[in-house]
Amino acid sequence: MNKATTSTVTAALAAATLAAILTACNANPPRATACSLPEGTDLDRAISAARFDLTTGCEQQFDQYFQRLLTIAEGDPKKDNKAAFSEFLIWANEEGLLSKRQARELYTRYFGVKYVSLISDYSVCAQTCPRRDEVMREMNKELVNKEQGLLKVSADRREYYRANRLFQETELVLEATCEACGPVE
Amino acid sequence: MKTLTIHDWKYRLKLVSRLVTACLLVTPAAVQASPQAPTIQLFPTTVLEEIKHTGDVAAQMETGLQTVIGRLDEQQKLYVESKCEGNEGDPGCERIARQMGKSYLEMLTIMGDRLPEMETAVNNTSASLRKRLRSELGQKKTSWTLQEMLVDAQSDNADKAGRPALRGRSGMRLSDRFHQYYRLVARSGGEVNSSLAVIASDIYLDMQETSGLIARTRDEISRATLMEQLNQSFGTITPEMQEVVAGVKSILFGEDEALMPMTAPPASQPEPVDESPLNL
Repeated sequence: MNKATTSTVTAALAAATLAAILTACNANPPRATACSLPEGTDLDRAISAARFDLTTGCEQQFDQYFQRLLTIAEGDPKKDNKAAFSEFLIWANEEGLLSKRQARELYTRYFGVKYVSLISDYSVCAQTCPRRDEVMREMNKELVNKEQGLLKVSADRREYYRANRLFQETELVLEATCEACGPVE
Repeated sequence: MKTLTIHDWKYRLKLVSRLVTACLLVTPAAVQASPQAPTIQLFPTTVLEEIKHTGDVAAQMETGLQTVIGRLDEQQKLYVESKCEGNEGDPGCERIARQMGKSYLEMLTIMGDRLPEMETAVNNTSASLRKRLRSELGQKKTSWTLQEMLVDAQSDNADKAGRPALRGRSGMRLSDRFHQYYRLVARSGGEVNSSLAVIASDIYLDMQETSGLIARTRDEISRATLMEQLNQSFGTITPEMQEVVAGVKSILFGEDEALMPMTAPPASQPEPVDESPLNL
């Protein structure tokens, strides 16, 4: 009798423990808990893995995931990669991970010719000239991002050349224009 | 602070190169006067007239300098062929040295005579360009719309061979760069605002620099003339004098300096349009 009671209690405890473990697993899927950045060389797979993680608790690490995807894409540079990142960022916007403006700026920062560092609402004399050095430093950093996105990821030398040329032209025109605007008040 | 003297040949080269290249601005002025008015008015008639006048003055100065430099070249050749280097006490060598000194003085005189007019022309052009840059680019544009204008012109001018290299970054001689400016503007028919913005910026910054060089040269020219007159009495050729002549020659006659064009674009291929809706 005692033996039978003990067996019953043991079985009940085991069932309860198993149920508790299963419940915990459902609440916190192992991948999301780990937030492990994608590995390997296949960009499509890496993007799929990133999408899963970013919708299951890892959204705070969006920047790290994005950087990892860029690094993976560098292993197989091709122009199609640009479209893959575009789709990924559109998806991120649809999922609410990024605003539309953030998605656009991030895409343009890495894969566009134009510089988001130059976004401004007021005139060159009023807004840009007083902080020209800072603007140029930001553009310089952005050019490094474009080197990664356009050259290393997308193998798009032509567009990178245009971005580089735009940097130089902007630097020249801003130098002359700011000189013409006069001293900063 | 280092005192700048007229014997500083690099300094002289910069000045002369700007004077020479200014001549090439004349024709673009005529081209830009076409009825197709650009959206931004960086080169209205008044500015074009000033640039043309500056070009005329520079051309006159160039012609005068070219003649005397040619003579100096001949005298230098004779000096070397006569093995005068290290043999300065020889009466024949002294005579050649004095002749070279006279030619050098003549060069200084030409520069001294022409510089005031040149200075006025450069300063007027510079002031006009400053006004246009401030109103058309500085006040009417944001940095974003300025960039959009530059990008649009890149697209419009897919043939990059005719584009100007940029100031101070290409290693290209100024005269070559202005030749490129000319070709670009001559082809444009007034439809390349952003290229005009680049050209206007380039000219303006060059004019600013030239203006400073002229002012300093004028300050130094009388002292340099006095020094050379003293040298005349001893019949010596200073190393600085020889360097100046060699340097000016390289600018006027296109000797020595190698062209280092800006990084060329990759081989042109038909490119798919970037269709991402995210691209700004």
